[in-house]
Amino acid sequence: MTESYLLGVILFAPFVGAAVLATPWVSNRHPLLVRQLAAFFSGISFIGSFILLFAFDWQKGGYQFQEKYVWSEQLGIQFYIGVDGIGVPMVLASSILLFAGVFISWHIKDRIKEFYAFLLILAGATIGVYVSLDLFFLYFFYEMSVIPMYPLLGIWGSHTKGYLETTNAEEWERPDAPRFILNFARNSKEYAAMKLTLFLSAGAIAALLGILLIYKASGLNTFEIPVLAEKAHISGTLATIIWLLCFFGFASIAPLWPLHSWSPVGHAAAPAATSMLHAGVLMKLGHFSIIRTCFQILPDTTHDLMPIAAILCILNILYGGYVAYYSNDTKYVIGYSSSSHMGYVFLGMAALDYISLTGAVLYMFAHALATGMLFAMAGWVYDQTHTRDIPSLGGLVAKMPFVAGCFLVACMASVGMPGTVNFVAEVMIVLGSWSKYPVQTVIAVLGIVLTMAYLFRMMRGVFYGQLSELGHHAHDAEALVDRVPLLIMIFSSVMFGLLPGRMLDVIRSGVNPILARIVEVAPVVTQTGTGLLP
Amino acid sequence: MTFDLNLTLSDLLLMLPELWVTLWICVVLCMDFLMPRMSQRAIAGLSVAGLGVALGFLLWYYADGTNGVLFKGMFVLDRLALFFKILVVGASLLVILSSIDYVGRFSFFKSEYYFLVMMAALGMMFMSSANDLLSVFVTVEFSTFGFYVLVAYLRDDLRSSEAGLKFFILGVFAAALLAYGTSLVYGETGTFIFPTIAQGTADMTPGLVVGWLMIFAALGFKIGTVPLHSWIPDTYQGAPTPITAFLSIAPKAAAFAILLRMFFSTLAAFKPQWVWLMIGTAMLSMLYGNIVAIAQRNIKRLLAYSGIAQIGNILIGMAAGTRMGADSVLFYLLTYLFANLGAFAVVIAFSQATNSDEIEDYSGLNRRSPFLAFTMLIFLLSLAGVPPLAGFIGKIYLFVAAIKEGLYALIVVGLISIVISLYYYLVVVKKMYISEPADPTPIKVSGWLQSVIYVGLAGTLILGIWPQWFMTQIVLATDLFAHLGPAPVVTLLP
Repeated sequence: MTESYLLGVILFAPFVGAAVLATPWVSNRHPLLVRQLAAFFSGISFIGSFILLFAFDWQKGGYQFQEKYVWSEQLGIQFYIGVDGIGVPMVLASSILLFAGVFISWHIKDRIKEFYAFLLILAGATIGVYVSLDLFFLYFFYEMSVIPMYPLLGIWGSHTKGYLETTNAEEWERPDAPRFILNFARNSKEYAAMKLTLFLSAGAIAALLGILLIYKASGLNTFEIPVLAEKAHISGTLATIIWLLCFFGFASIAPLWPLHSWSPVGHAAAPAATSMLHAGVLMKLGHFSIIRTCFQILPDTTHDLMPIAAILCILNILYGGYVAYYSNDTKYVIGYSSSSHMGYVFLGMAALDYISLTGAVLYMFAHALATGMLFAMAGWVYDQTHTRDIPSLGGLVAKMPFVAGCFLVACMASVGMPGTVNFVAEVMIVLGSWSKYPVQTVIAVLGIVLTMAYLFRMMRGVFYGQLSELGHHAHDAEALVDRVPLLIMIFSSVMFGLLPGRMLDVIRSGVNPILARIVEVAPVVTQTGTGLLP
Repeated sequence: MTFDLNLTLSDLLLMLPELWVTLWICVVLCMDFLMPRMSQRAIAGLSVAGLGVALGFLLWYYADGTNGVLFKGMFVLDRLALFFKILVVGASLLVILSSIDYVGRFSFFKSEYYFLVMMAALGMMFMSSANDLLSVFVTVEFSTFGFYVLVAYLRDDLRSSEAGLKFFILGVFAAALLAYGTSLVYGETGTFIFPTIAQGTADMTPGLVVGWLMIFAALGFKIGTVPLHSWIPDTYQGAPTPITAFLSIAPKAAAFAILLRMFFSTLAAFKPQWVWLMIGTAMLSMLYGNIVAIAQRNIKRLLAYSGIAQIGNILIGMAAGTRMGADSVLFYLLTYLFANLGAFAVVIAFSQATNSDEIEDYSGLNRRSPFLAFTMLIFLLSLAGVPPLAGFIGKIYLFVAAIKEGLYALIVVGLISIVISLYYYLVVVKKMYISEPADPTPIKVSGWLQSVIYVGLAGTLILGIWPQWFMTQIVLATDLFAHLGPAPVVTLLP
């Protein structure tokens, strides 16, 4: 069954690109060719997903652009892809960040062929999760997106705070011994990479167990999400066990407090483009997969157990914000801020309200762009000054006005200033959650103030004040390839912030049928299709 | 009991691949002393050609669905037997290809090497067809004798001799167990033939229990499951690396052919009793293999322990005890063949250039040979079970088969062991990709080894990305287990 090949093209372009780069005919001796190939294949996805947004028929709703092939009759697995209103913005976010990430990484010199191959696999796999309508392939792409993080962090990453001061090479004869890897005080990039991979894989296998239990309990011999959502009636203790496995398994990537500890370390160690994709779209795999499994297949259990998320999300917001305020490493600040902001998405989901869930999905999209920008700029500053230590930076605005300007916009977007898409999303989450969780909503709004505090503290420390010694040889982003990715992200953020109508309609067409099965209230019919965007 | 050996020609056709290999073994052996000038490469080529023809026969038989029984039921030819023969002959082919450069380093006894590899392969081909206890004993010993010599082939290497001695003593012990178990079962049932035993056994007498346990122990020694694994690490480390590769897949596959016939056909009625045996050994193998592998510093030992864990995975399918369980065992063996032989081919290529098997020396392999590092990455990740590689699909197949039978605890252990195994595989990846090389000279890989690595790579990717065709073929092979309906559910979770 094939309605259109558009989704297949968007999904497979990065993989084809990675395969082309992996062939012996593309050599590291021609770096420009490698970069151009990566840009070409990610560009296909980029253009394709913009077409997808405008070709998606939100009035019809449901799953569109479906493609379905039998993959294994014996196991009941189909290669079944298609998007609903939730998938569309996330596919768009993934391909924007991938395309921007290719340009952000333009100046990497070491083994660029391998770098771009892994980056394309990472981004292709995240797109794969967002379009999978078969639980097996959801997991397939999920795990596939986790593994490339290991080489990306390990090879092209950088050691995090305090590593150089505490490392005594002679003391550690075997830097791959378990006690070295598991030593929390020593923030080498190897440690960050291993921690991230093992942490996320452990979460993934918990979710896999949940998926296998769904397969067993439904008795339908299929992994197809629409069929399971309709026909699998799982209830009682088993449903609770499955729900907890899927929820906490997938929430570990989200990252829900207290499963977040891999995330700031991982963000900080990763190269800029990887941090962007990681914080921008990889973390949202968690929320998205929870919607696909818990919300769609176990609606009743979700209704009963979602208050767990309403409690934990507050810890996310406050703890993440608190640590971000006291961090002196730029990437740690952004990493913890991401982890804090993911609390808003959980709040929007926990309220089980039409407006707040729509807001949560939009927030996932908005946060991808804002955090992508922040990480891109933090990466630029690091490349120019070779430090991420805020106290030893300062006054960079004189040296890099363009980057400083973009950074300000990114901070504003992250805070949720009107005019950016984050504002729309935050307002919707807060409005929707108010009736059900007033206390949490108040704390969440206070969290926005906290966001301002730590982002502006970082902004001041890095760009204003006395020009530090380290900044004397810093350059601005002057070349076109350096400016294009930043401009793309700013443009998308502002465009959807000023004209969110179409995006909201698309998201709502996906959210409404899912939520209608969880809560009794029917969706409020509102018209935001303003016609400003086609 | 009368013996009539009125074999017609069409009967013998059932044994044609074996007869052909027997003939070819003689040809290879004769060539060595008839034409002493013949290079070892030519002899290797001759062996490859012979096995290639045998593989062709086998594939033709498989497509054709040839089946039949010979020698009063001692030798059975069905698709299950053919599947394992294809696996064994395919593995032998790849092992010979990856041996060519390795053997070139020996000062003498070059052609006997190929002769012995083919003898072992012949024994394992018969093992795949063994359908009674007597032929099980004879074929298992037949195939093992070739290995006794091959393991100790590096005459001047102390480790190789140690490996050979260890393997021999424990192997003979296993043979004794097999013989004793056979005699007990014969004493209780009065027959050797599997189908007759299945019909004649109404309940498990103590004698039968002990007898079958001993037979399982002997075969458990072949596949190297915990607690019968102790020979594996030292033998793997000491043996010539191509033989280690051979040992790690072919005899295990052939032993699984016998185990499947034994437990899924002959003892199918007693599943509630033997399923605990499978669950126990599977759990122990996965946990022990994976945890001990963490501490390894030699790549061959690492692969040895990871192999123990992989066998634990395959036993999940055995524990399922259904037709789907059998399918998953076959499929997993196929994925294991490609990934494991590929990984060993990389080890051979590396040790030829550097004379080392230490993981420490793999530092910076990506800079010295991007090809070797990349393929090793693929093979290790496939062994760990990472999508989209073959090992992942194999593991999912096993888990689905097991969850249908409600073996929750087994699946939980299996899943946890995936995470543990990721750690030690990634440590090797870290060495290859992240660490800087101590000696940056590039590594050249010979064409023979490259071909083996490419076969492994293709198998690992194709089985992972589009397994449907292979799964359909495998289901044909397990037709004889069609009688296994929904077996009694073993629930370990309230």
